[in-house]
Amino acid sequence: MIALSQGRTKELLAIHGWSGVLLGLLLYAVILTGVIAVFAHEIGEWSAPLPYAEHELPQQGLDAAMRARANEVDPAYVDDISFFSDTAGRIRTFFHTHGTKPGESTPTDRGVEFDLDPRTLAVLDRREGWADELHEQNLPAALADFFVELHVSLHLPNPWGLLVTGILGLAMMVASVTGFLVHRHLIRELFTLRKKKDPLLVKRDAHVIAGTWNLPFAFILAFTGSYFSFAGAFAIPAVAMVAFGGDQEKLIETVVGVSVPENKTPAPFANLDAMLADAKARTGAVAGFVSISHYGRADAVVSLSMMPLEGELASDNLIYNGATGAFVQQKPFLGQTPSLGNDLFLLMTPLHFGHFAGIWSKAVWFALGFAGAYVTLTGMLLWTTRRQHQPGWAKLARAAHWMGYGLPLALAAVPLARFAAPLLDVDVRAAQYTTFIGAALLATAIALKVRDLDALRRVLLAGTGIALLLAAPLRWLTGGPGWITVFDAGLATVIALDVALLLAGALCIAAARRAKPATLPMNERLPEEASAA
Amino acid sequence: MQMRSVINYTLRMSTDALPNPSRRRAWSRGLLAGPVCFLTAFAVMAGASLWYPQGAAQINNIAVPIIVFPAIWAALFFYLMLDRKLGRAWIVAGVLLLAHAALIGQHLMAVQAAKHAAAPVTEGAAP
Repeated sequence: MIALSQGRTKELLAIHGWSGVLLGLLLYAVILTGVIAVFAHEIGEWSAPLPYAEHELPQQGLDAAMRARANEVDPAYVDDISFFSDTAGRIRTFFHTHGTKPGESTPTDRGVEFDLDPRTLAVLDRREGWADELHEQNLPAALADFFVELHVSLHLPNPWGLLVTGILGLAMMVASVTGFLVHRHLIRELFTLRKKKDPLLVKRDAHVIAGTWNLPFAFILAFTGSYFSFAGAFAIPAVAMVAFGGDQEKLIETVVGVSVPENKTPAPFANLDAMLADAKARTGAVAGFVSISHYGRADAVVSLSMMPLEGELASDNLIYNGATGAFVQQKPFLGQTPSLGNDLFLLMTPLHFGHFAGIWSKAVWFALGFAGAYVTLTGMLLWTTRRQHQPGWAKLARAAHWMGYGLPLALAAVPLARFAAPLLDVDVRAAQYTTFIGAALLATAIALKVRDLDALRRVLLAGTGIALLLAAPLRWLTGGPGWITVFDAGLATVIALDVALLLAGALCIAAARRAKPATLPMNERLPEEASAA
Repeated sequence: MQMRSVINYTLRMSTDALPNPSRRRAWSRGLLAGPVCFLTAFAVMAGASLWYPQGAAQINNIAVPIIVFPAIWAALFFYLMLDRKLGRAWIVAGVLLLAHAALIGQHLMAVQAAKHAAAPVTEGAAP
């Protein structure tokens, strides 16, 4: 039990409730889309499967593939080259230089992007333009990108989207800390579910159990999430302004880069495959990201970001001389020697994304994230339902139902647009966005029309269930591989996601058919409120 | 009309929950724990890049403040929200904000002065 005075408990309870109610609707959207984004790679593979499952950069053949592509692009674009295995399993290769897009002030990348087959390294797709244009043209990653971007920035322009999600992360942190402090019998509440009591008390118990078990995880997600949002939105530019007079490139060079004296003398590039093999021999790991700067020059540098070894959260970077192929150094990701800053930085990514132990850690992150979405939704529903007979609160209770059950409907409709758009010859990304907005508007119209809140819940759940049930058949009917084909190809992810969506759809339909007992607004206070009063 | 009721109810509830029931104090507390807290945390993060030790790798002063920004904000938020003496909370936030703003301003002015000092030499050396 945490000893707090009645006044303190009352204050913390007010902060807990208001941080949730004021930002809860958007916070729920960010958490729910984050739960989906955990499986971005699996969604990419499910929506645009290759004939085989590959998630790593090949150890042989990358050198020849790079030289072939380097010979066919504008020479200016070989200034910077990168390779990585993207969410759809393709080897994304970007030949680019840096510049400022007409009408904009922030520097960005411009170049040619290739999607390479991870086994044959044949070109699957070629895109050219500014970085944002390339992104818009990328079809295989479109579905995964939609969910990731909704989670990261709510599809708002930068830096506003990041700022909003960062503030939501702070609100979640406040709710989790106050939730920890306000519950006076923490251990007992981990196991208390009074099934035969008032329905509202049962809901409150379920909220507290899920929230209490989820508290440490909610705090971690909120902290790392707001760090990611704020770092990109303003923290890095602000520190660059203070410490480097506004020069972000100098900051990045100091923190990440390797200082090599400029030498524009043309020089043949060493063998990349040999460097990859050397890096694997030194670390036992494979490279996850390859970056080459100044290809074809005497000052060429190759940076290999190695994948973490099993049981480890992070790994080092290996630096090679691009002209000679000689190993230069093994360095932390930030700085040249081990440091607290580097350790903290490397900890943020696995803690937020949950990908440090493959599918199992992702499954745990999914489950805990789902519990977080449940806690946010039930918290809003409890807070507003108990007050729905007071002036103004009925609308907020309706809004909580609309967001709580309407957002899953809008999200479930997006894969349908992804698969139908190519058949209708419309832009996939635009179709996904339009369908999401259209489904959200439909949910809004239903929320305005259906007066009874439980009926509203059931209608929206039924719609979500239907959309989820349609996704797998539509994938197959629009040219996606069937289960026998993907089973033979070892693409277990495709079958697993098909089954998961069908199951989720059936569960939604079953939940929609079940009417909930009417819950009377409680006149008496909940235990923590009573003890605070 | 309904929304106004929600806002009024929100204000009343918030006011009831605070130590002093005056609405003015509630607004002051909201301003302090809201925008002022965010600005102060931002200034502390940016200013920390000047006073936090660089460490052997010379990057701790840059990386650590950026990473711990949410913790800086949270610590400040809970203090500013819960300190029973509102005036003291304002003073603490004000001192932190002004001290870091002054530190940053003084550093930026020194950088500008160094640039100006270097400029005539460059111009003089030009053909």
